[in-house]
Amino acid sequence: MKPSLNFMAYLIYLPIMLLLTWYVAHTLFKNSKVFMLDIFNGRTEIALSTNKLFETGFYLLNLGFGLTIMQIASELGSGQSLMEALSTKLGGFSIYLGVSLFLNLYLFFRGKRVAKRKAQLATSFQNAGIKP
Amino acid sequence: MFESSEYYISFTPSFNTCFMNLLAYFLYLFLTGMVTIRAGWLFYKHGGHYILFLLQGQQNLADTINKLLLTGYYLLNLGYMAIMIRFWKPVHTPAELLGSVAGMSGHIMLTLATIHFLNMTVIWWFARSNHFIHS
Repeated sequence: MKPSLNFMAYLIYLPIMLLLTWYVAHTLFKNSKVFMLDIFNGRTEIALSTNKLFETGFYLLNLGFGLTIMQIASELGSGQSLMEALSTKLGGFSIYLGVSLFLNLYLFFRGKRVAKRKAQLATSFQNAGIKP
Repeated sequence: MFESSEYYISFTPSFNTCFMNLLAYFLYLFLTGMVTIRAGWLFYKHGGHYILFLLQGQQNLADTINKLLLTGYYLLNLGYMAIMIRFWKPVHTPAELLGSVAGMSGHIMLTLATIHFLNMTVIWWFARSNHFIHS
């Protein structure tokens, strides 16, 4: 029996998937602190805590998805089929990562807009002498 | 000679499967156990500030909600984790071992993430309705 290349495919897929997830999460949540501080009006503790909550959720979601789609159903017999299977999996996973990155960015921008509108409303109430 | 080799062939797979499955279970339990406990602790630690902010400084209520959420989270996930072992397919090769462990752990992690985001949304809704009642 010819040994199947599935095990090798997993060994190539796993580190790339982990590295990609780590890189995206690291970049996104290093830069999202600015948004969080804006959303919570510069209250550092709650902003950083919320950032961490989202980061943990992001890691769980993406690692979970990456591990769930890892299994290759067919037996890989040649280098060509190994390459094709790997490129499908990794390409699909990175497209998914990109989509979830943009979704997160959209949420941050939306939160920032809402916070800004609230602050404007509060100042206009204060200027008019009304206690909100 | 022939009979002994047949004996060997007929008995090896079952022993192998048993061993491989056990190995898969231990790997899976270790991995998901670590992830569940670590993530639960992180949620508990950082979620406290988040809940306190949304409940406008009602410390007692925030602490109670946080502890109840942690208990529910652990019960749900450790139970789900244990039950998943019941539906494990027989494992024969290292590739199948890695694949099944990854698939099952992935399911658990997806569940964890879903519960986490659901919790955050529900607390947010709850805090908003609470705010409207008080003001």
